[in-house]
Amino acid sequence: MNRAVSLARIFLALLVLCAGLFLQTGTALSAQSSDEQEARAILLEIDDLWRATSSQGTVRMQVKTANYTRSMRMEMWSKGKDKSLVRIISPLKEKDTASLKTGNTMYTYLSKTDRTIRLTSSMMMSSWMGSHFTNDDLVKESRLAEDYEPRISFKGKREGREIIEFTLLPHPDAAVVWGRIVMTVTAQGHLPLLATYYDEDNVLARTIYFSEVTNMGGRLLPALLKVVPTDKPGEYTELVYESLRFDLELPESLFSLLELRRR
Amino acid sequence: MLIVSFAFRNFNRARTRTRITVAAMAFACAIMIFYASLLEGWLAGMEKNAVGMDLGEFQVHARGYRADPDLYKRIAGEEEVLAQLDRAGFVAAPRLYASGLAAAGNASSGIELRGVDLLREPLVTDIHQHVWQGQWLAEDDPAGVVVGRKLARILGLKLGDEVVVVAQAADGSMANELFRVRGILKSVSEGVDRGGFFLAAAAFRRLMLVPQGVQQIVVKRRQASEDLTRATGRLARLLPCYEVRNWRQLQPVLARLFEMSDVSLVIMLLITYAAVGILTLNALLMSVFERIPEFGVMKALGFSPWGLFAMIVVESMLQVTVAVFLALAAGLPLSFYFAIHPIDFSSFVQSSSTIAGVALDAKWYCVVTVNSVVLPVIFLYLVAGLAILYPALKAAMLKPLAAIYHR
Repeated sequence: MNRAVSLARIFLALLVLCAGLFLQTGTALSAQSSDEQEARAILLEIDDLWRATSSQGTVRMQVKTANYTRSMRMEMWSKGKDKSLVRIISPLKEKDTASLKTGNTMYTYLSKTDRTIRLTSSMMMSSWMGSHFTNDDLVKESRLAEDYEPRISFKGKREGREIIEFTLLPHPDAAVVWGRIVMTVTAQGHLPLLATYYDEDNVLARTIYFSEVTNMGGRLLPALLKVVPTDKPGEYTELVYESLRFDLELPESLFSLLELRRR
Repeated sequence: MLIVSFAFRNFNRARTRTRITVAAMAFACAIMIFYASLLEGWLAGMEKNAVGMDLGEFQVHARGYRADPDLYKRIAGEEEVLAQLDRAGFVAAPRLYASGLAAAGNASSGIELRGVDLLREPLVTDIHQHVWQGQWLAEDDPAGVVVGRKLARILGLKLGDEVVVVAQAADGSMANELFRVRGILKSVSEGVDRGGFFLAAAAFRRLMLVPQGVQQIVVKRRQASEDLTRATGRLARLLPCYEVRNWRQLQPVLARLFEMSDVSLVIMLLITYAAVGILTLNALLMSVFERIPEFGVMKALGFSPWGLFAMIVVESMLQVTVAVFLALAAGLPLSFYFAIHPIDFSSFVQSSSTIAGVALDAKWYCVVTVNSVVLPVIFLYLVAGLAILYPALKAAMLKPLAAIYHR
């Protein structure tokens, strides 16, 4: 289904941890206050922390809803900002189902029926892989810098930890679903801890928790992400990075339709 | 009796004037019979498409399903519910729904998967007869599906083509399956045309991993004469744990449109007959003024004012009756002709045209109903009756002596 649209995109987005791509717009900083400059500077730092020419890793995803609980393992590859491939390792029923993103085009390979389908932008609104991510917000995530203005809203000690809190407000003309996003990062190392998403009526819609900071591929990164929707108590989606490597030599052919169908 | 024979005699006196008046009334009435039949035909076509093809007369859902439809809000133990409905004098068919994605070649589109009970669905809707190309679903062809017309166009599907369906199964996994297009539907409604994807209930259950329960039960009255609202109440009492809605509640815009159509017919009748009324008033006024001395003599001979009044009323009602017979003789065959040979608007109306989400038939049939004939006739009598009040009262109140010498 269309939730598979952004299989690759989510990992790309998660890799850059929401903030990674904030700075790609290169907005003129001339009229900004020192706070805003600092906010952008820290985001740049985070961006550098997560940015890689290529990556490869395995991820475990656990989804719990009122109707089902499911667990999946996936392998993913990415190269640059435009290319990524995600392949399901387990469960057996969905093994080898894969998604490929090249540029603005998304393909999903369905192993059971041995067919590849091309997904259009109109399919972004539903849940991805039965999880609490939607395709749309995963794609949007990487465009946060274009649509939101970052501002430091808190700096200091919270729950015994030195933290910095950013508030992202959408530009007046931005076509976005969130009314406000609040991100918390550690003051030391600027590692993300928490991201809360508010809807247009300023009501909390969901929270993403980042934890289990681990050394992966030579970098310190949160290995566990937990998405908790506010309106569905008891439900969550958990993503655990089992392994992650950066700056590998990945052939271009890996991100081809032919490779997508490889079993 | 005397009044009637006088009225008959007078009817024949100013022949040209009487003929023109009668002809005008007959023409207007015939046109209105035809117009009302056309309107009835249009409404019947809309109702057939909306209720007879898609909605059904009543729908039963689990509570909360209509507000927020999903795969999990199902009616459990549907067999028991169906048996209960059967005992209460209803026919019913279960349906399963899910949303998904269909893809063929490079194209893909969002769809509404509809798992239908092949034995029961024909009892409540005629959608199985509404296939434009190919055939309706069959038990021996589990991979065969029937799709909406617009969907087929979006995906470039022809009969026999392969189509992939991807959806989120009940266990959260990615359900995907290959199907083959067995039939393409005629235009039904915006929703069905664009996203209708019909498959056998068994195939739906396999694909979506839904072993039990249904999302919807479509119900039809066994006695069509039973009042819709009363039957809705009866159903709601029968199934208190579920949400029961009739088609008027399900499609309020359409229901309003139907109510408005009756009003629009009455307005049309009033406008058309206003002209006829003025013509009748004019003709009768003339005939009264011409005969003032005559009425004076009649009154002097002992004719009561009410006798005169009644005579003029009977005179004009006689004219209306002749006009009605002429109108029926012209209007009915015309309407019946177009009931068999529809007016074809296909070159003007796009196949996708809809009103309130219901497909418009490009072929417009007349449907002659009691309403479409009786209403124009009754209204003609009413308007003519109003028009003669003034001349008849004027004649009734004449002073005999002044009237005799009236010039």
